[in-house]
Amino acid sequence: MRRISTTVNRVLLGVVGVVLLGTGGLVLLGGLNLPAKEHLDLPAHWPWSRPGDVLLSAQQRTRWTGQGWWWPSVIAALAVLVLLMLWWLLSQLRRHRLHEILVDSGDGEGATLRGRALEGVLAAETEALDGVDRAGVLLTGRRREPRVRARLALAPHADPGTVVRRLSDEAVAHARRSAGLDRLPGDVRLRAVKHRPERVS
Amino acid sequence: MSDDAQQPDTRRLPTLDPAPDASAEGAGGPPDEAATDTAGGGRAGRFWSARRVPAAVVALVLLAAAGLLLYDVVAVRAHHPAMAWRRWLARELATRHLDTPWVLAAAALALVLGIWLIVLAVTPGLRRVLPMRPTAPDLRAGLDRAAAALVLRDRAMEVAGVQSVRMKVSRRKAKAHAVSHFRGLDEVRADLGVALGEGLRQLGLAHRLGLTVHVRRPKKR
Repeated sequence: MRRISTTVNRVLLGVVGVVLLGTGGLVLLGGLNLPAKEHLDLPAHWPWSRPGDVLLSAQQRTRWTGQGWWWPSVIAALAVLVLLMLWWLLSQLRRHRLHEILVDSGDGEGATLRGRALEGVLAAETEALDGVDRAGVLLTGRRREPRVRARLALAPHADPGTVVRRLSDEAVAHARRSAGLDRLPGDVRLRAVKHRPERVS
Repeated sequence: MSDDAQQPDTRRLPTLDPAPDASAEGAGGPPDEAATDTAGGGRAGRFWSARRVPAAVVALVLLAAAGLLLYDVVAVRAHHPAMAWRRWLARELATRHLDTPWVLAAAALALVLGIWLIVLAVTPGLRRVLPMRPTAPDLRAGLDRAAAALVLRDRAMEVAGVQSVRMKVSRRKAKAHAVSHFRGLDEVRADLGVALGEGLRQLGLAHRLGLTVHVRRPKKR
């Protein structure tokens, strides 16, 4: 789910970037009179090829306004664009979070586990680890394939490698086993709590 | 792999072999999940930012522009006069030549913005997160550069003769600037090198950072 939104964001940003780059480049090319200076041979219908051109002449703008289909299609296209942008904007504000997990009890009857309960247990067990000061845990993914996103604040004198290994072997492994999951993948980000240096000597 | 469900303790190694998953019936779709994961840089690869803020800004700008234009187009269809900005814009677009400074400046701005958005789209971002070596099979870990610097600073402070130390961790290098008030500078430098080397090893990063150590005497009062 999160991966998908990342891909959508990056593809749409790239598309907008390419459109801006292309338009700006074409206008600059014509405005600086580069085709004539560099003796480039441009195709016949190349837009904005000479400095004397305008961005959008009145004739181009009103070319289809007399046709019956023009304004309805403009309105439809703009409406689709508005809806798409609204959806894109709202999907940035929304955080995907798993509300429940399906637990396969093995006897044919499924059970659901509240996401917050598992998050709480994971966070508490993580905070009990040596070298972890605070932990925030979020479950994402799908109901049958949850993922863990954890943010840990390391206590002073923590050993990051050991913290990650113990997190995987203890807190995440316990959660995986108790929810009856085959695997419980996840991302962890370690930060540090600022503290003053302690003098030894 | 049919007895896979009875052994929840068997951990799948992060191999790129989707065949056992695909043959198991109830797997549901872990293969594509794994595929999208590796597409995002692999297990030990960089963390990829979701680019939420640029996406929200671009979406907001486009939404406002398209919404305003849609409102005005519909208003004109309903026999209201067009808004002043639209008439002004149509006139400017039809009369300004391409070589006027305003048009050139706008084109250059669009070009730069476009390049910037493309860079945002294709680079991973999250430069302050250092990816860690995949020690645990399914867990991808990243360490903030500031956290790495703090851990290394604590290590350096344990070396005898170090009065204070400033650590700077970039994406490839860790630099220590230490002030030593006793012992020979060379001894302190050697000890710091050993201690920080051990510290770097324990950070468990995917790409080991280079280390430079500077030691000097405190300034005379």
